Amino acid sequence: MPHLTLTTSPGAGPILDVLIGVSEPLRKIMKTQGAAVPKPVSIRVLLDTGASGTCVDLATLSALGLVPTGTALIHTVSTTGTPVPAALYDVSLALVHPGQQFVRWFDAVPVMGASLAAQGIQGLVGRDILAQCLLVYDGQAGTFTLAF
Amino acid sequence: MALEKELETYKREFEHLREHEGKFVLIKDDRVLDWYDTYRDALKAGYEKFGLVPFMVKQILSVEPVHTFSREIICRI
Repeated sequence: MPHLTLTTSPGAGPILDVLIGVSEPLRKIMKTQGAAVPKPVSIRVLLDTGASGTCVDLATLSALGLVPTGTALIHTVSTTGTPVPAALYDVSLALVHPGQQFVRWFDAVPVMGASLAAQGIQGLVGRDILAQCLLVYDGQAGTFTLAF
Repeated sequence: MALEKELETYKREFEHLREHEGKFVLIKDDRVLDWYDTYRDALKAGYEKFGLVPFMVKQILSVEPVHTFSREIICRI
């Protein structure tokens, strides 16, 4: 199983770069229509076991020209017991091993659009994606390993 | 709010849709187009029918799931 081991960011946790692009169904229709398909963009994400879903910063989604194709209800620390609606966008997401060719590609994933830049990240990879990976967090060594 | 009309359609048609529990419904404005086995299939049909015009794909579930986040995120809809 391909895996990568990275150093945990002090005070931030397990952070890595992933590629976000348009979903495969959208890419195909754009090609059919002769539209320019935006290239996937690399963003810094936190692997967050406290997130049931995956989020991507709205600026990234906007740069890809995406519009919502769904909605979901969410609870955060500030929703005080009442879930609030959030927009869902369909994207492709690739986990890439730096320097090697190992790639795990999720070709159509619903993600929530959120403002995250103030937290120094551009996305959260939640348990929907992590459920298909193996994550080892070694706090004493200051490293984490993600196998995919 | 994005997809407000589509959400209203989903709620209005839910009693009919619930017999397809677990499938993914494709909705545009006030029309239920069809339902599909996978999220990917519903997206594919949506883009083929409507191109780059907004539409909604939603899994048909009797109990609406709520995503939880242990940190603050600000979402827009």
